[in-house]
Amino acid sequence: MIQMFHVSKSYEGGVPALVDVTLKIPKGDFLFITGPSGAGKSTLLKIMFGSEAPTEGQIILDGRNYVRIPSAELPELRRRIGFVFQDFKLLPNKTVFENVALSLKVMGVAPSDVKRRVARMLSYVKLQHRANFKPLQLSGGEQQRVAIARALVKDPAIILADEPTGNLDPALSIQIIELFREVSSRGTTVVVATHDKMLIEKYARRTVALEGGRLIG
Amino acid sequence: MSKSGSADLVYILGDALRSLRENVGTTILTSFTLAFSLAIFSLFVFVIMNLNGVVEGWGEKTQIIVYVKDASVGQADSLKQALGRLPGVKSAEYISKEKALAELKDELKGHEGILDGVDANPLPASFEVRVRDEFNQPERIAELAGRIKALEWAEDVQYSREWVEKLSAFIKFIQLAAIAMGVFLGAATLFIISNTIRLAVYARKDEIEIMKLVGASDMYVKVPFVLEGLIQGLFGGLLAMCILAVGRYAVLSEIPAYLRFAVEMPFSTVLFLAFLTGAGMLMGVAGSLISMNRFLKV
Repeated sequence: MIQMFHVSKSYEGGVPALVDVTLKIPKGDFLFITGPSGAGKSTLLKIMFGSEAPTEGQIILDGRNYVRIPSAELPELRRRIGFVFQDFKLLPNKTVFENVALSLKVMGVAPSDVKRRVARMLSYVKLQHRANFKPLQLSGGEQQRVAIARALVKDPAIILADEPTGNLDPALSIQIIELFREVSSRGTTVVVATHDKMLIEKYARRTVALEGGRLIG
Repeated sequence: MSKSGSADLVYILGDALRSLRENVGTTILTSFTLAFSLAIFSLFVFVIMNLNGVVEGWGEKTQIIVYVKDASVGQADSLKQALGRLPGVKSAEYISKEKALAELKDELKGHEGILDGVDANPLPASFEVRVRDEFNQPERIAELAGRIKALEWAEDVQYSREWVEKLSAFIKFIQLAAIAMGVFLGAATLFIISNTIRLAVYARKDEIEIMKLVGASDMYVKVPFVLEGLIQGLFGGLLAMCILAVGRYAVLSEIPAYLRFAVEMPFSTVLFLAFLTGAGMLMGVAGSLISMNRFLKV
């Protein structure tokens, strides 16, 4: 369960990125956040993830106030959230396998488990044949799927995805969203920021729209 | 979810070693920067310490010579005690008339004929007075010389006022110049080393950020950098020692013998090696940790 109360964010000298956003996302929900570029979608996700602090307001995650969390506890919280970044954030000098394995290794998962779970996840996103490739040897769509595999492999309680289908063709986009739906049906909360109208029309159970940093519906 | 503390440690060390292999180029470059910076600074310290040692040696030679009236020669021991009681006198050596003559003959070796016509010993007995370090200043030596001269058995007192004053000013200048240059060179060394490390860490800021974003603890991210800093410092220190040794060997034959003391090692080799590697490792680790700190706040 994610709850945001009157969350605002403004950057120094810039226009406000978020204005008084109040939002409740129940456990297992599959929520689309829509809106044009610059509407504040990415900022909203980053605040939920704890990588940016709100200027005002509170975020409660599973009963804990995220805003006042000590930085030493941040890693523990992040291990429960899978984040799919718009720019993937893959390590270019590590293989696909190592990139996906990283999110399990930082949790201290035993090596044999890491191997098994990464292999399973790579075949889940149909990248098993690319396990030993470096990210820059892959297409944009493949890199996107590595980023998704890294977010999913740790069975997180929450998935936050920032334009996860931005680099994918329609067929692959549908495949990825289906994958998120399946994860969501097992109880994982999924929040997807996108401006892909086709996806929203086809899949949206619940959508919130942002414009100029405000929730408009 | 299976978790184990030992797996944590295995991953942290494994990743640290892998990162060392991946960044071997940067590690070597940083080690060399550390080595040359440390070597230049050490060379400066050597030369200054050796110079200081020599100059202080000159200072120790500063003496006051007191010539004793012939009438008082018989009381040499009590005169010596009287001198020793004066404030500022470190020691006094009695040079008897006979010894003075023998020394003169020694100095005139080959020209002994000069003394042929001299029957009686015309040389006065004397005391060579060494001055305590804290009295080794122009005003205090002059004051002491004045006191000695006032003793009734003293025929005359001799000391080189000009020499003492010049030496004292020279020592002061050398020490001031050494401190100023040491501060300047030390700051330059720290600046070069910290910038090299900062650039090496900056090149990996994305890696630090990504690891933090997938939930790595600060420790997980820091250990590879600490290990690299240690290794860079260790190699840097050892290399600095090699550079100094090879450099000294290369220039030694080009330096006139009377100046060779300047490139001698004023410390024990083991102690100095320990200092170089210690300083290198401290700078390597501290530099890495300080540089990466701001990238950890993701």
